[in-house]
Amino acid sequence: MPADAQPDSSRRSAFLAAVVAIAATYGYFLVFAEFALLELARPLFGDEFALRPLLTVLGASGVAGGFLAARQFQLARFCRGLAAGFAGCAMSAIAALAVGRPGMWVVVAGVGLSLGWTTVTLSSGLRAVVGVRRLGLCCGLGTGLAYALANLPAVFATTPAFQTSAAIGFALVGLVATGWMRSGVVDATAGDRRGGWRWGAIFLALVWLDSAGFYILQHTPNLRAQTWSGAWILYGNAGTHLVGAILAGIALDAGLIGATAAVAVVALAAADFIIGGSGETIAGARVLYTVGVSAYSVALVYYPACRARPWLAAGIFAVSGWIGSALGIGMAQDLHAIPPWFVGLAVLVVFSALVAHRRTAATAAALGCVVVLGLTSPPARADDEMIGRGREIYIAEGCITCHSQYLRPGVPQEILWWGPVRPLAESLAETPPLLGLRRQGPDLMNVGNRRSPEWQRLHLMAPRALAPGSRMPSYAHLFRPGDARGESLVAYLASLGAETLAVRMDAATAWMPSAEALMQPYPESRAQKTFSQLCAACHGPEAHGDGPLAASLSIKPPDFSRDPWRRISADEPNRLFALARIIKFGVPGTPMAGHEYLDDATVIALARLLEGRHR
Amino acid sequence: MARVVARHTLGWLAAGNAIGVLLAALLVWPALNDSLAPLTYGRWIPLHLDWQLYGSCALPLVGVLLAWCWDVRHPHAVGQARLALRVWSLALLLGGVAWLGGGSSGKPFLEWHGWSRPLLPIAMLLLWSLLATHVWWRRSEFSRGGLAARILLLAGLLIVPNALHWSAGREVYPSVNPDSGGATGARLLASTLGIVAIYGFLAEVLAITRRDRRAWYWGYFVFSVALCIGIEHGNASHHEAAQVAGLATLLGWLPLTWIYFSGGRGEPAARRWWGAAWAWWVALVGSGLWTFLPGISERLKYTNAMVAHAHLAMAGLVTSANLAVLVELRGVDRPRYFWVWQGACLAHCAVLLALGVEETGHLGELFLSAPWTQAIYGARLLAGVVLLAVALSWWWRSLRREEAKNIDAR
Repeated sequence: MPADAQPDSSRRSAFLAAVVAIAATYGYFLVFAEFALLELARPLFGDEFALRPLLTVLGASGVAGGFLAARQFQLARFCRGLAAGFAGCAMSAIAALAVGRPGMWVVVAGVGLSLGWTTVTLSSGLRAVVGVRRLGLCCGLGTGLAYALANLPAVFATTPAFQTSAAIGFALVGLVATGWMRSGVVDATAGDRRGGWRWGAIFLALVWLDSAGFYILQHTPNLRAQTWSGAWILYGNAGTHLVGAILAGIALDAGLIGATAAVAVVALAAADFIIGGSGETIAGARVLYTVGVSAYSVALVYYPACRARPWLAAGIFAVSGWIGSALGIGMAQDLHAIPPWFVGLAVLVVFSALVAHRRTAATAAALGCVVVLGLTSPPARADDEMIGRGREIYIAEGCITCHSQYLRPGVPQEILWWGPVRPLAESLAETPPLLGLRRQGPDLMNVGNRRSPEWQRLHLMAPRALAPGSRMPSYAHLFRPGDARGESLVAYLASLGAETLAVRMDAATAWMPSAEALMQPYPESRAQKTFSQLCAACHGPEAHGDGPLAASLSIKPPDFSRDPWRRISADEPNRLFALARIIKFGVPGTPMAGHEYLDDATVIALARLLEGRHR
Repeated sequence: MARVVARHTLGWLAAGNAIGVLLAALLVWPALNDSLAPLTYGRWIPLHLDWQLYGSCALPLVGVLLAWCWDVRHPHAVGQARLALRVWSLALLLGGVAWLGGGSSGKPFLEWHGWSRPLLPIAMLLLWSLLATHVWWRRSEFSRGGLAARILLLAGLLIVPNALHWSAGREVYPSVNPDSGGATGARLLASTLGIVAIYGFLAEVLAITRRDRRAWYWGYFVFSVALCIGIEHGNASHHEAAQVAGLATLLGWLPLTWIYFSGGRGEPAARRWWGAAWAWWVALVGSGLWTFLPGISERLKYTNAMVAHAHLAMAGLVTSANLAVLVELRGVDRPRYFWVWQGACLAHCAVLLALGVEETGHLGELFLSAPWTQAIYGARLLAGVVLLAVALSWWWRSLRREEAKNIDAR
């Protein structure tokens, strides 16, 4: 006998039991698996960082539990299977209150397995219990109730132990509800098999958006206070969730699943956009986020329930639920932000999947979006400061590939060139340390004490104009109008070792060319060739201060044939050495950069060449 | 099934080599970067490193796992293997997109960051789930010891995706040699022992070693692990005798690996690849120890000599061993161009080593593309093109039906 043809009382009883079972499952997830369990584990594991492996176990066992349920599912044993799932949930939650650190691993695996099992079993049998006609409303009521209960101040703002007790209550109520369903279980047909991939992609994008937004809200004190503090805000959230979920359920019964997904993605994208863009007031974002979450959550319960295909349910919950959450939380953890390109990408994926009738077209569109937006995405940012952003750009552009930021204490040559040495502990305290593997260019640990921002800017834009033969790529594209990345990178480089300028100056003052270098014969033609390669871009081929870059410098290079020495006083006892020092170490704060890696003989030869040109 | 593994492996080998050739060309002609901007040199490096490591180097090991655990009689056995490998490859592909887009952790070989960070662990978890399922299906076929070994392995493998996800975090950084800024002796010893364990396991699963030769191999392994645990694991210098001595114990593996891998019952077509792998292994251990020594490390750290060492490991040892594994698994027939590959790889490593030895005293000339450095980079590019051509030919053959027929006829 189809469910729709049952007596009213029996149908009503089965409907209510299904609502309670959904509310119990979802409530258990929201209150316990997502919150209280982690709060119970936190003191045992130290910090959030140490919790990550635990979360992985939770996700993996959730996926495993879902697929196990799909394999074992039989409609005739639906209630028994569901009851087993609720019993497992309850026992895992009870155990969580009692175990220590080793036991917590087992408990977390048990929670994942039980919850994965319960979710897939419930989804696979709901259609048989409720029928298709009011399945949406059933899902909406159950989901809305779960969210509403989870947001009640008495549940939300209490201790993890109390929340765990509430979750045990949810599981036990669910267990009782399975008994009411028995009279309603009848034979039922399965829904359409097609569209699983399409809806998998849609739900993946929605869960990803939700999880990223949730993480940012949860871990930004200001945003968290605006979203989940104060009784009235929590009651407001509870009411919005309930109403939103019921409306979504009604829309689903009217056949508007596509429209429901569209509303959800627009609401979540708008909320994430606001959340990701500011740490200020987010009153509108809170409502949008709540509505979006309610709408898609109901659709996520409804879709596999309507299809009544266990493997489809397991796949949808594995990919969209568990993996989508992992991707969203992982992204937010690493980036501490929701990039606008990602929000755009998620919207594109959902809409292209909704409108595309061919699965391959939808997949291709989604992958195309990933590729295009992935390539054009701005790099992650560590904080809102320019130097921090510059460091992220240093990482994103792969500068570490060719430049180290570590000086070896036992190698005097590199300390002279790029020093002073910095303690290893200071380098390792950075996140991540950027020690580097090899040097295709100089070490940059203290580049801020020997290169001015002006020089850096010129060099980044046209490296071979300043240093002919350099293997460094041009980063002129980072300096395009409206793009702040170039200036951020310059600020970061200028900050590296800037505080060591005095030490650097002392080392330069103490430097003396070796006696062998002074005695070594050095042909003038060779010195002239070196001058042409390294100096002529600014100083001009004849040292008249008319090189191609001279006009773009803040301090015009001198004409050695006419101007007096700028940096060497008239009473300097050894002008040759003073000149050699400038050639080797440069003039800090000016565009005049040093040529640290030139050997002493070459430096002296260049100094003699310039002395000869000077009138 | 092995042929599916071979296609993915050789495809990633060719893709990684193609990126390597691009990188080598960008060093010879840096102005090419202007045409590629914003996809300049540094953005391509993670693709080269990680596609080689997680693609061509890792997938033959996946093939061995499939051979050891898979229920080939299951009607969907090949389809499920294909699914696992496609998801793995998709993770690598999307990782490449993320790195080109600038989403990197800043940690070489662990660039997975932001949205790309969970991708490969998820692919690994899918593979693990399928492996566990197949072992479960086949549980009645195994002896008690065989089943226990598989369960033990699966339990160990479950750590891998978690460890990868964890170690890709920016907060995590291994111990550092304060006098070099590089790896400590303990780290190098531990990672090399990891390779020894993996190859020991391969030989067991592929049944290419003789039972009477196991004791020495695994006995010395236990000794080495105990030693590794015993030496300083913090930020220890290569000037500390224990670090050098610990690393020197790797020399014991040179004769042991020879004894362990020779005289077995492996495929004849795989033998010369195993032989080449052993020769590269000797060079790898020798050069690793040499470049760690006080005085030598100061000269060669941060130079192309270390790049040569890395290529010796990946293009020499691992590729040769992986070709042998693919032959043993019957994923490929008889890979051609053995001597071309080995010769090009040797030339590649030799020129980079020569540059590394020379560049320390002439850094300015390296930075500003002095002609002699250009000549060496040009030679390296040429060797890279040869390696790419060979990898492409292997991949192309793996896609052809004739290859399958040849394997079946073998």
